[in-house]
This record gives sequence, structure tokens and C-alpha cells, in this order.
Amino acid sequence: MKTAAEDRFFRRLRTALGHAPDLSRDATQLFAQGPSADELQMLDRIDGRSAADRRRLLERLIEAGTPINLRVVPVFDPAAAREGIAAVVAEKRPEWGEAKSVAAWRHPLIDRLGLEGALARRQVPLRITDPIAPGAGAGRECDRAQRDRQRAAVIASFIGVTGADFCLAETATLVLRNRPGQPRSVALVPSIHIAVITLDQVLADMKELFALLRWAERFRPEGLSNYMSLISGPSKTADIEATMVHGAHGPREVHLFVITG
Amino acid sequence: MSDISTEKYVAEARRGIADPVLRRSLASLQERFGRGTAAAYLQLPEGPDLRVTAHAIREKAVAHLDVLLETLAATIRRNGGHVFFAATAKDAVDYCLEVARRNQVRLVVKGKSMVTEEIGLNPALAAAGIEAVETDLGEYIIQLAGEKPSHIIAPAIHKTRNEVADLFAAKLGIRRTTSPPELTQAARKALREKFLTADMGTSGVNMACAESGHITTVSNEGNIRMATTLPRVHVAFMGMERIVARLDEYEIILRLLCRGASVQTIGTYVSFVGGPRQQGDSDGPEEFHLVVVDNGRSRILADPQFREMLCCIRCAACLNICPVYGKIGGHAYGFAYSGPVGAVVTPLLTGVNRAKDLCRGETLCGACKDACSMDIDLPRMLLALREKLAYGDAAWQVEPASRIEGLAYRGWSWLIRRRTVYEMALKLAATGQRLLPRAGAMIRRLPPPIHGWTQSRDLHPLAEQTFMERWRKRKAPSNARVNSEWAKKNPTGEPGSEGCGGGEGLGDEDGRRG
Ligand code: SF4
Repeated sequence: MKTAAEDRFFRRLRTALGHAPDLSRDATQLFAQGPSADELQMLDRIDGRSAADRRRLLERLIEAGTPINLRVVPVFDPAAAREGIAAVVAEKRPEWGEAKSVAAWRHPLIDRLGLEGALARRQVPLRITDPIAPGAGAGRECDRAQRDRQRAAVIASFIGVTGADFCLAETATLVLRNRPGQPRSVALVPSIHIAVITLDQVLADMKELFALLRWAERFRPEGLSNYMSLISGPSKTADIEATMVHGAHGPREVHLFVITG
Repeated sequence: MSDISTEKYVAEARRGIADPVLRRSLASLQERFGRGTAAAYLQLPEGPDLRVTAHAIREKAVAHLDVLLETLAATIRRNGGHVFFAATAKDAVDYCLEVARRNQVRLVVKGKSMVTEEIGLNPALAAAGIEAVETDLGEYIIQLAGEKPSHIIAPAIHKTRNEVADLFAAKLGIRRTTSPPELTQAARKALREKFLTADMGTSGVNMACAESGHITTVSNEGNIRMATTLPRVHVAFMGMERIVARLDEYEIILRLLCRGASVQTIGTYVSFVGGPRQQGDSDGPEEFHLVVVDNGRSRILADPQFREMLCCIRCAACLNICPVYGKIGGHAYGFAYSGPVGAVVTPLLTGVNRAKDLCRGETLCGACKDACSMDIDLPRMLLALREKLAYGDAAWQVEPASRIEGLAYRGWSWLIRRRTVYEMALKLAATGQRLLPRAGAMIRRLPPPIHGWTQSRDLHPLAEQTFMERWRKRKAPSNARVNSEWAKKNPTGEPGSEGCGGGEGLGDEDGRRG
């Protein structure tokens, strides 16, 4: 993979740093070999969180969401989340074109909501983004047709429903890792993004997030995945005379349903 | 390389100062962000000293740049991405053109990136017949207007809503409106089409993390996420210094970046990109390319005086506080980077002589250092550049900007080390200055070759008696008594003035007298 040009690049770099130009240096000392005392404490704190602690985190989340226009809706169970989502679908108008349709992730929590029926009663089609099944043979061509269909469905939807891996209370930040069946465009291309999480997915802040992703057995293997998005509220811009406008390129609204029961 | 017009600094600065609309927007920008950033640092749980920690993190990363970049590249390649190390702007641009050609790219959507501005990507794409659309609203506005960004974070800060209204009415064919939400909506609509049809998306890199193997982008609009999600190919450009070792370090840098850039606790979208889409994924680019750009940075790295500049994360906090930037605006700096960061980086990247007025235009007031999210000592480096300009420097191919200046300072240094000669010279000057034109107690004009100094300000005359003369007249056995007597006689505590006051700079906003 390495070319002569790349070799020259690194020689110049090492020379500038005052090292022998040809010698690749050892990197291990730069990277942590295990969790620090602080991080261990953080992991314990996350594991030991009581129901009351979680409630407090939820309050912080709601508070942090307000100034950035993130609507946080605590709901008791999946059924209440479903009704909340259906209400948004009924109330809001599509931004591009007339017909309403909703795209949603293939995701265990979203599956449990039973959105399909609720939306069908309102004659709004629901398109689930299933993982792309590897086509026969290798290469990128075979599954292109599936992907193109899914892309078109997401583009045509005015609402996208996703889960999230975590939510950071401090900054009202949703954390979405990339997985088959859970395309990032569902949280991006439709005009309204609705996310559904359970209360135990709420963390205090980004420090906790990184401690978990780096060191917790459950999360470490997947790590950050090949694409992780942190999303804090709806898209916004202040590029014209510093006037804040929501809905620059991404969603204009973000609704977050937190299942507490 | 992109157009560089640093030579026109003085003329452009004059133009900026003369533009009342620009001055108003700059004032309101600085009013909000300048103060807000300082307050945001204070509210950090670790306090403003977190900037010192961040500086150390960045310094360490820069000192281990070779290993960090190797680690990052290895991980990205393992995940199916491509990494290209570009020695020059041309190498970087050519690589991108080659990727575009291989993929038969006709339309490129660009996420805001100052490094693509630095390497001149847009003109190169245009020359190759490829349409490149800036998608950050501010960048889009100035691209439509055929202008250049005037701020690292708020590129269209110099445009009013009226100008944008005219521009959009003319270029997008919409009904003229001055309402920012309607204008934003018009751009949203026009650019959505571009996002959905583009073959390639480009982005910058706010910061990469070697340990995790990701580059990250930060935006509020979501344009960068669109540009790096929808097209088939994503090419990311990063200045080679934009990397930290570990995620816990990254967290600190990110918090400071968002506060320094726009007084936010976090940008709306922070994306970690570790490669192209994986098996089973339904979206994300098929190809991911990371272009790591040197383009003169290794020279900065090799010089211990300037290595600190590579700690910079281009947050633009220094622009939002700088009294000079606040008056002249960003165009005067004539390159991708404006304000205090530009005054140091532009000479180092494009040639010190060529950009000599940039580092001489700053006031050395130190506000940028206090505002800098990475606690970078910009004034120190401005001075170091001025020193090179005064004496010349072979390593940086700097010609002395003015032989006379160098000689004058050499003479001065000789003089102040010789007490009696110095005092004689002072006497002479104190007598000589009576010939100079005055405005009240102040000297109005100095003779050539130092007349430039009084072009826009007056000079305090030398005192009739020097401090030393007065000191000697006191018969004082002990300092303690002298001090207490002094205090009695001078209840305000104002000592006799010997020197002259005032800093350097382009002049105040009342313009020049005389
Ligand atoms: S010098 Fe400091 S304040 Fe200025 S852009 Fe760089 S990091 Fe930000």
C-alpha cells in the first residue's frame, strides 16, 4: 500500500521531529493500556446507577434539550411512545411534496413499538430499513438495487424513526453507531427525526460514553463502529446576519422519546 | 495553490475599515462570541485551565505526529479506506482529481474545510470541468457571490441579509426576501438537490483520533453529514497536525473547540468516520479517502519557535476577540486563514516576506492568547516573525523587510547598553523634539523615516527631565524612605513619565489625522 511518496512524507516528518528518518517508532506509550482510575470509577458509577439517579439524568437531559430545540418526551412504555410518534406523524406536514411516509430502522426497540399498525390506521406507509442481504457473488454491484430502493424510501420520507445507542444528558446528545439495518440517513435526510431510547441508555456525558466504548466488555468489541454520529438537537445555522434558523440541511425538528417504565 | 493576496493587506485593510456595514457585523460578532467564549471557558468544570491541559495534549500529539499518523492510516486502511499523504497542495489536489476521474464524478458537494481553501481545490475541480458546490450556508453564499470566506467559522459574516436577498433572487430565481429563515429554506431546497445527485462529497477534518482510527467532522447545519453520507465517494482533507492520540484527549479538545468556535457546549453534529460503508450497510460512501496534507507544515514542525502553531485547531476564537480583525475583517489577510491565526500561519505557509504586513499589522495586545482554546502564544510567534523580518533568516528565506529598521534596532541595542551615551542621546532628543510640530502637549508628526508611526496617532514627547535625573536629585539613604516620600508627594502614585506610550497597529477607527 505504501508508496515511495508516502515514504518520503514520513521521512520528512521524522526529520522535522528530530528522529532518525527511516525508523518507525513505537506507539504503545501514547495509548492507554487499560482504564485509568477515573475511568474505572466512571464505569462503576454507570453500573451502580439507581432509578433515582436515572431520573435525575433525565431531568438534566430535558433541561439541556430545551435551549437547542430538542423535544424530550418521557413516556412510560412502548405503547405510549407509539402513540406519541403517531401524533407527530398526524400533526406535521411533509416538507417536500404532499404524501406522508415514514422510514424507520430495523431495530429491536423500534420493532417493539408496533408502529406499522398505528401508521396504517392513518394511511401512512412505514418503510423499515432492513439490512442489505449480501447478493450472490462478491463485489458492490449485487446489492446495489436493494440499497437504491432503500435510499429512495428514506428520501421520500418526511419522518425518520431511529433508536440510539446512548444519550448524553449533559449536552442532550444522541449517540448513533453504524449497523446494518440502521442507516445513518434515516436520522438525517427526512425533515423530522424521531429517536426512541430507554432510560437506562442515558449517560451523564461524553466522558462516560468514551469510558464505556473503550473499556466496558459489552461495548468494546464494536467500539465506535466505522461511523458514529453524535446528534444534539435539530440542524441549525446562523450564517445570515447571525440569526438562528433551524433546519439548515439536516432535520428541522428532533423528538426524543425516552421510555421510563 | 489557491489565490493568495496577502501583499494587498494594507490596501484591503483600509477598505475594510472604511466599510461601515462590515464594521457593524464584525462588532456584533465579536460582542457575542468574544465575551461568550471567555464566559464559556469559566463555566467548564475544570475551569479555563483546561486550555493548558489541551495545549499539552496537542503538543504531545504534534511531537509524535509520525506514529499517530501511521496508526490512524493503518486502522483506516484495515477498514477499507484509502489514505494518501500529500507533500504539497498540488499532490493533494491531483489525488482528488484522480479519484474523481476514476469515479466519473461530475458533481462534488463540499463540506466547509479551510484546508481545501488552502490547497485551492475549487479552482482545480472547476478547471477539470467538475462542478463543486459549497454546502455550508455561509460558504454557499460567498460561492454564489464569487467571493472568499472572511472568517474561519462564519465565512459570510461580511454579507448583510439585503445582499443575500439580492444574490438569491438573482442566482436561485426566488422571490426576493430578506427573512433569514426564508433565505435558509431556499438554500436548503437548492442544496438538497445537489446532495441527492452528487457523486462525491468532500470534507475537512476537525480532529482525528489515532487510537480509535477515526476522523471527525463537526457542523451545526448537517451539511457535512449529508456530503459524507449520500454521495458514492467521500474524500476528507486534513492538515497533518489535526490529530490526537486518545479518545479521552479528544473529548477535551472537542469541548474546547465547540466553546471556542461558537460558544456551544457541543456542535449539533459530530461525526466519527472510520472508513467506507461496511458489508450489509445500506448507506454511506462506497469509497473513503483521507488526504493528509503537509504543504509546508513539516517546516513549521522543524522549527521549535513555531512548532506550537501546529497545536491550533482553527476554532477561530482568536478572530472573535482580535481588535485588528474586528476592524479590518478577514479579506485583508488574503488567504484561507484570517485574524491572529492567519497572521502567524499565512507567513509560515506562504512566505514570510510575502505576508509581512500580516504579522506587523497585529497589535500584540495578547487578547488572542487569552481567547485561544488551545492556549497558543500567538503574540510570541508574531514577534518571532517580526524579528525575522527585521534581521532576515536564511532557514525561512526571509529577506530583511527593511535594512534601516534592522540597523536602527542594532543601534538602539548598542545605545541602551552605554549609560552616558544613552543619556546624551536623550538630552539631544529632548532638545531636538522642540522642532517637531505639536498638537497640544503631543508630538503630531515624526520626521522620516519614522513618520509612519505618527500617521494615525500622536506621540508623547520625552519628559523634560528623565527619571534618572530626578532620581539622582533625591538624596535618599534608603529605598523604603524614598518610596514613602514618593507616595506622600504623589498621592495618585503616578510616576514621572520618561518614555512614550501606545502600541502599534493600523490606527484607530477615527481614521488618520493630518
Ligand atoms: S490560534 Fe487558537 S484561537 Fe486561533 S484558531 Fe487556532 S486554536 Fe483557535
